[in-house]
Amino acid sequence: MAPWRFLTSLKTCAWAGLAFCVAGAVGSVVMGRYPGLFADMDAQVFAGWFARKGFADPAPTSWLYGLLLATALLAVNAACCTFDRLVQIFRGTVTLHRLLPHVMHLAFLGVVLSHLVSAVYGDRIPGIAIPQGGFAMVGGTGWAMRMDRFDSVMAPEGYPKDFSATVTLFRDRTPVARGVVRTNAPLFHEGYGIYIKNFGTTPQGSPYAVFDANRDPGAAAILAASLLFTAANLLYLFPPRRNDA
Amino acid sequence: MEGAHIILFWLALAAYGAEVGFRLAGVAPSSAWRSPVFAGVLLHAAFLGVRWGLSGHAPMAGLFESLTVFSFCCAFAGLVLCSPGETDAAWKPLSILVLLPQIGAALIDKRITPLYPALDTPWFASHVGLSFLGYGFFAAGLALGIVYLRDGGDAVYRAAGRSALYGFSAFSAGMVCGGIWAYYAWGSYWIWTPKEIWSVIVWIYFATLTHLKFIPAQEGWPGWTKRVEMGATAAGYGVVLLTFLGVSLLLRSSHSF
Repeated sequence: MAPWRFLTSLKTCAWAGLAFCVAGAVGSVVMGRYPGLFADMDAQVFAGWFARKGFADPAPTSWLYGLLLATALLAVNAACCTFDRLVQIFRGTVTLHRLLPHVMHLAFLGVVLSHLVSAVYGDRIPGIAIPQGGFAMVGGTGWAMRMDRFDSVMAPEGYPKDFSATVTLFRDRTPVARGVVRTNAPLFHEGYGIYIKNFGTTPQGSPYAVFDANRDPGAAAILAASLLFTAANLLYLFPPRRNDA
Repeated sequence: MEGAHIILFWLALAAYGAEVGFRLAGVAPSSAWRSPVFAGVLLHAAFLGVRWGLSGHAPMAGLFESLTVFSFCCAFAGLVLCSPGETDAAWKPLSILVLLPQIGAALIDKRITPLYPALDTPWFASHVGLSFLGYGFFAAGLALGIVYLRDGGDAVYRAAGRSALYGFSAFSAGMVCGGIWAYYAWGSYWIWTPKEIWSVIVWIYFATLTHLKFIPAQEGWPGWTKRVEMGATAAGYGVVLLTFLGVSLLLRSSHSF
């Protein structure tokens, strides 16, 4: 069957890979040419951004269509290849070394599908600025966040060596979470991560900090799939045993 | 001590320069362990170790440290893949690929600079270190690809295939570490910047390349042969250079070297 041969073919993989590289290379240049268009790309989940900007301004975002199509074709190609080969493998001699490339394919699929989940069902709430002792609503989560305390350690040269904020999340005036947020150490609550992004001093002289609140429902699955990929990849580096070849 | 450790950098540079000189003169060492590049790698490792101790962070931040780590990883990958024998000829181009980033680093301010708080995490060293290890293997792939295209040889072909596979493996692991780090530091494992896009281009390029050797050459279209595969292995270094230096120097990206 010609369609099945196309979907399982290594040549399809090669051309889809090439298309991805070309689309990505074009995109990296176009992004710089249209900073106004792409500046808020990370300020919301991808599906929302693409629905708003991708369809409204198709010319400068056409590389994204190429990128998405190439990614979809690579994912379908990996899935079909693995299905096709696994049938052959299980009819013959099953060895770890023959299975490992398909474990990597399945892990790659896991990353793509989990990223799709995050890109559709995730949430981005950027730029929550709160002075010390003040409150701010956290997007549509129904939480109010209070910054209880802000701490920073500045080097003599004037750059920040460390900064952190103690925050409390409230729902209906009841505290639901409290913790210290610092760079590389966000506060997680109900699937959201609270990240400290910036800080400064208000005109009144009190410190303030700027936070993002993000939710990536596919992140844990992406981590699991990535670790599976890495483990299979490292095992694949070892030469097969004699009876594995 | 801060100034003295730079002596190790210059000694490593001199060793790499000696290796290039010998290779261009047609003199090959009897074993890798007796070569100037091996001495250079030892001196270079000592330099990086001392600098790590002095600065308190992995010496991989900024252009100077990035270039010198790149050079170190190219030399290390060469020692792994190119041994005296059939693959030894690859040292002629590879020694130049080792020397050039080290010369580039020599021209840059070498002072230890403070680390931005977001970089102060073990994920920084693992992400950058594994990525540069991948770059090193891809550089070895360029040298081996050139030698194969010129002279042929099964051992060179196999070594070039290993360069793509080892480089892809290291780079993949580096990307996983980078994703974990970005998730904890910036709130998302992925952000849309030219650097991230080019990183995935490198990953897809070498992922595709490692698949292409399984296309039987006699199928004709797209005319895949070992020579074309070796050409693509060599060309991969161009993709790496664009990702490492091109994006950082030519395009606007919040993700630096």
